[in-house]
Amino acid sequence: MADDLAERRGVETEVYQPAEDSHLLAEAALADGVSGTVVEVGTGSGYVAERIAAATEASVVATDLNPHACEQARERSEHGVQVVRADLVEPFRDGRLDAVVFNPPYLPADEAAARNDWMEVALTGGEDGRAVIDPFLDDVGRVLAPDGAVYLLVSSLTGVDAVVDRAAANGFSAVALRDESFPFETLTVLKLLR
Amino acid sequence: MKESMMDILCCPMDKADLELEVDHEDEDEIVSGTLTCTECGEAYPIEEGVPNMLPPDMRDDVPA
Repeated sequence: MADDLAERRGVETEVYQPAEDSHLLAEAALADGVSGTVVEVGTGSGYVAERIAAATEASVVATDLNPHACEQARERSEHGVQVVRADLVEPFRDGRLDAVVFNPPYLPADEAAARNDWMEVALTGGEDGRAVIDPFLDDVGRVLAPDGAVYLLVSSLTGVDAVVDRAAANGFSAVALRDESFPFETLTVLKLLR
Repeated sequence: MKESMMDILCCPMDKADLELEVDHEDEDEIVSGTLTCTECGEAYPIEEGVPNMLPPDMRDDVPA
């Protein structure tokens, strides 16, 4: 993968823009009837959060580490999406969320294409692609209501089995809601339940 | 942010309750203010409607 990440994903360098993975995640969560208090982690442009807020009665909160993303998500919001700058689900209270939706940075890091900008933070998940997903899975159970669910987008490049195993170690069972194949990866939306 | 967000937010470090101080309010939204942890005393700023709930060591921009 010597080609530049920015070239593969378009020219935007500060905020990840909606792509196939965003559409797939939004559609899967909506088709599954996502409702209640919903947090989208790592919202980027705010697209998925806004789709959910527009199509449901859910109370939607979007978070991102990136201040530029927080700004875009706030500008995009037409249906009451609230924005919080946060690291994963750290500033949420125990047991309050009905759903957590996450399209994580999942590409294995490639030193040849390292960029050291916000787009790299949005795309890459460390050496194995799971550097952000793993701590997320270890903490998300804390913030979910007893019947709460996680909607997580994973790629074949990240290793779906490793993600499912980590979720299981945290007491979750996983169901694949959607699959979609692309030239260099297959995307899957997992629903995690306890 | 709307005041109802206080129901789901806590201090990112010790998960304790937060106290809200409003500087500027718009119709149904808190535009600026501060959320202060009732346990450790850390203050989290609300600016342009967005609470910054990053721990102090993460507040500076992440990429170089």
